[in-house]
Amino acid sequence: MGTVLSYRLASLEETIAQLSREDCQIMAGGTDLMVQHKSPMGAPARFDKPVMFIDHLKELKQIDQVNQDLHIGACCTYTEILEHPLIPNIFKVAIKQIAAPAIRNRGTLGGNICNASPAGDTLPLLYIFNAQIRLRSSKGERVVGIQDFILGPRRVDRLREEILTEIILPEMLADRIVFEKVANRRADAIAKISFAGSMRLEGGRVGEARFAFGAVGPTIVRSLDIEQKLKGEAFPLDPKVVDGVVAYFDRIITPIDDHRSTAAYRKTVALRLLRHFLETM
Amino acid sequence: MIAKDISTSVKKKDHDGKISGQLAYISDVKVDSMLYGVLYRSPIAYGKVRSIRLPPLPEGYEKIGAEHIPGNNFVKLLHNDQPIFANEWVNYIGEPMFMLVGPKLDILYQLVDEVEVDFEEHPAIFTLEEAIKQKDQTGVFAYHEFGESLDVIKSIEKKAHRVIEEVYETGYQEHVYLEPQGMLGIYKADEILVKGSMQCLYYVKNALISALACEDDEVRVIQSPTGGGFGGKEDFPSMMACHVAIAAKVVKKPVMLLFDRAEDMEVTTKRHPAKFTYRTAIDEQGNILSMNVEVFLDGGANAGLSPVVLQRALLNSSGVYKIPHFHAKGYALKTNTVPNGAFRGFGAPQSFAAIESHLGHISSMLKRDPIQYKRNYLVKQGDPTITNGRFRDPILLEDMIQDLLQTADYTKKKEAFRAFNQQNKRFKKGIGASLFLHGCGFTGSGERDHIKAVVKLEKTEQDQVLIKVSNSDMGQGALTTLSKIVAKGLDLPYEDILFPDPDTKDVPDSGPTVASRTTMIVGKLLERAASQLKAGWQSGVAQEVVEHYIHEDMIPWDEETFSGDAYPAYSWGVNLIEVEVDILTGSVRIERVYGSFDIGRAIDERIVKGQIDGGMAQGIAYGFMEKMTSQLGKIQQKTISDYGPPTAMDLVPIESKLYDNPYAGGPYGAKGAGELPLTGGAPAVQAAIEDALQIPFYQIPVTPELIIESLTKKDGDARD
Ligand SMILES: Cc1cc2nc3c(=O)[nH]c(=O)nc-3n(C[C@H](O)[C@H](O)[C@H](O)COP(=O)(O)OP(=O)(O)OC[C@H]3O[C@@H](n4cnc5c(N)ncnc54)[C@H](O)[C@@H]3O)c2cc1C
Repeated sequence: MGTVLSYRLASLEETIAQLSREDCQIMAGGTDLMVQHKSPMGAPARFDKPVMFIDHLKELKQIDQVNQDLHIGACCTYTEILEHPLIPNIFKVAIKQIAAPAIRNRGTLGGNICNASPAGDTLPLLYIFNAQIRLRSSKGERVVGIQDFILGPRRVDRLREEILTEIILPEMLADRIVFEKVANRRADAIAKISFAGSMRLEGGRVGEARFAFGAVGPTIVRSLDIEQKLKGEAFPLDPKVVDGVVAYFDRIITPIDDHRSTAAYRKTVALRLLRHFLETM
Repeated sequence: MIAKDISTSVKKKDHDGKISGQLAYISDVKVDSMLYGVLYRSPIAYGKVRSIRLPPLPEGYEKIGAEHIPGNNFVKLLHNDQPIFANEWVNYIGEPMFMLVGPKLDILYQLVDEVEVDFEEHPAIFTLEEAIKQKDQTGVFAYHEFGESLDVIKSIEKKAHRVIEEVYETGYQEHVYLEPQGMLGIYKADEILVKGSMQCLYYVKNALISALACEDDEVRVIQSPTGGGFGGKEDFPSMMACHVAIAAKVVKKPVMLLFDRAEDMEVTTKRHPAKFTYRTAIDEQGNILSMNVEVFLDGGANAGLSPVVLQRALLNSSGVYKIPHFHAKGYALKTNTVPNGAFRGFGAPQSFAAIESHLGHISSMLKRDPIQYKRNYLVKQGDPTITNGRFRDPILLEDMIQDLLQTADYTKKKEAFRAFNQQNKRFKKGIGASLFLHGCGFTGSGERDHIKAVVKLEKTEQDQVLIKVSNSDMGQGALTTLSKIVAKGLDLPYEDILFPDPDTKDVPDSGPTVASRTTMIVGKLLERAASQLKAGWQSGVAQEVVEHYIHEDMIPWDEETFSGDAYPAYSWGVNLIEVEVDILTGSVRIERVYGSFDIGRAIDERIVKGQIDGGMAQGIAYGFMEKMTSQLGKIQQKTISDYGPPTAMDLVPIESKLYDNPYAGGPYGAKGAGELPLTGGAPAVQAAIEDALQIPFYQIPVTPELIIESLTKKDGDARD
């Protein structure tokens, strides 16, 4: 039976040092990895690299506010995030719909981002919040926007030796913010389509509107263009404006048929949720 | 404890082992020098095997195939069309062709991966639709036709005010028992012992005798603690038992065959998908003049139990109604897909979904309340059944309906929902009901002619009483309820009754654990055995009593003409479900669930409540959540989360009520309760969704995809 070499080092510094020496499979909560690497029953999971455990690192489990920004450690579990007073309520709304308590006790925000599934339930909100990702390695650190970090399904802009340390959530002012997850049941289910929307009004006009869709393409779909165009429109929106926004997303959303749902359903529901959001306040 | 009232709940016999996690299921068992088996399964849906190339097998690894079968290469059940190892023709993707055995699972998986098989592929039948089109050429597993003559129906239809024809379809359902299938074969010099998760010890034993071509005392079957069955462990385990028994005999070592969830979901039996056509003639007042029903079941690649499932589907095709001039015919057809088999309800849930839907649609065409409309046609005590049997016992359905409408405040609620729906742009509320029954025990004369159940009670010198029956506890509580029946009969504390794991070496054939028969039929025999033992009780002396099945006087069942009493007794149910539908997403939220049931008398109220809660959840989910699809012969949903059985978050506490209506033929008045609660879930939830959206549906599950498609179409129609 094959053995798996693994590390569980005492500090973030040591972890980063080891990552610079050896290509490792980083494992946080393992709730995606263990599923992806599982073998049929009775055979051990297969890893072709040493496993680096990071779920215990205190440095990656802080949540604090710096100026107007909220800094969330990459290894905070969903349960820890749910219990923290600084976390915006809408994130709690989304996280309560992830998996079930057991998985929420293990799964981390960093893991959801690095796994980069188009159905990742924290992603639509992270996109509309313009979240920033901090990465560290022995060579230094850098900060990138979430939309640049996520490249495609299971693909992120991370160098081998880099570790995601925290997620920076800028403050977002909005009069209305929603998150909708549509799945085949109310727990332990992967989104068929998800939607996040926010809107801020200024004197009866749109000050800022943002929308993001999950599970309707290879990555989260958001359009800064159309958001820009909506700025300054009188609210309630003219039906023609609403039709225009919906038609725009009708063109750029390209979902697929799979064993969970159909392309037609995903598209229709995405547009219905968008229209509803635009028409109600 | 000696309970005065048999219905009072007790601690279940298997409670401690299960709660502590100590109870060993078959996959927990490890025995010395045990080997594992991994099946090589057909990758194609239909074809002839040309050649098989194995990779070099390391020492200690062997191929077990058809060439090792001493007896018949079929799994003995009804037809002889299910090979144990398909070595000439394969009929579905996933069909076992041979098994590799050896000490290490990871090596076995790798070896199986390296096998190369050359096939001559033939065009396969993938869908029920294709099977229906060519049913005159091949592949009819069973066919029945009965009722009013078609000439009479035709002439009624000609004169009728309207003839309403509807096509209705139901999908697959997967059992999702908590414990996947598992079987262990143990070689001994003088016998082959098979242990595993199963509902029917003697089905397994008979299959083994046929496959091994051996004497009765050369095979032995022991049921291991079974983590759920729902019918999925009725017919299927026999095949696995043959696999491990043949392998154990060849390698002379224990051989274990275990499925993980994905394998279990892909290749084990499912509920039969079905297609119905209902044609009903009505007069100007909306009275039903005649009804003509056609049923097609997708049997999958071999007959299995499909012929019997078809019978129950047909017997329930008129629901709980007395319909003038009723005619029905049905087919169970072959497709090159995973064989479909027994599933809680056994054809009846399909039929009840169809008839309830059809009458619901007729009532809304007539602008009548569906419950009021259906009440005009309820069968009553003394009425004939559609096969010219008799409903001999009191029927409480009318009272149950009236009670429930009052409890739920039905009329007011409907008005309130209408008002809510008018002002809410996103959410629509609805309420729907279903009326249903379950024929208890085997269909027709099965108990008398095929099963001939025998039970035994053994008393030791220490005056301990042991129950010796071949019935499985699969979580439904048989250990507990049967012990209670015996305890009550003997006036002994329930704790003093012992119920060892059934072992064919030790227990007579009291029949399979199916068809909601265990409490009613086996329990009645045990009640009689207990009173016999009590009458002759000699303290300090080992004693044994045996009881044999006695057939009740009924109108004789004739399977050829499909006439007579199909069942000795019926259990009854009424469900009422309230939902809220999100018209943006098609998501349905269950808001309230009511279930009223007449199961004669509850032997243990908490166990019955467990059957109701679980059964209704399973039935409701069948109606709107659980969606399984097959693409070119391959099951698409291989994980629980993709298939989507309900979680606690998807349901609400179920408000259930039992009606006392003791049945003389059952122990202390009990009738069957296992399958009944599943039957009404789907039609009630469909009716509730229809009420919310004012759109008819013609299939289950009513998924969000279907809802959104229908809403989009309705919006389109409204704009045109
Ligand atoms: C039963 C079940 C239900 C689920 N339900 C949902 C659901 O409803 N919604 C949902 O969105 N997801 C769901 N998931 C998926 C999963 O739980 C989440 O994506 C979770 O956030 C993953 O976090 P993790 O810490 O377990 O990641 P891991 O599995 O440990 O890692 C995932 C990936 O991220 C990388 N990684 C993790 N942390 C870092 C880091 N700090 N730096 C660099 N790379 C890193 C890993 O190398 C790996 O590639 C479910 C999973 C299961 C098993």
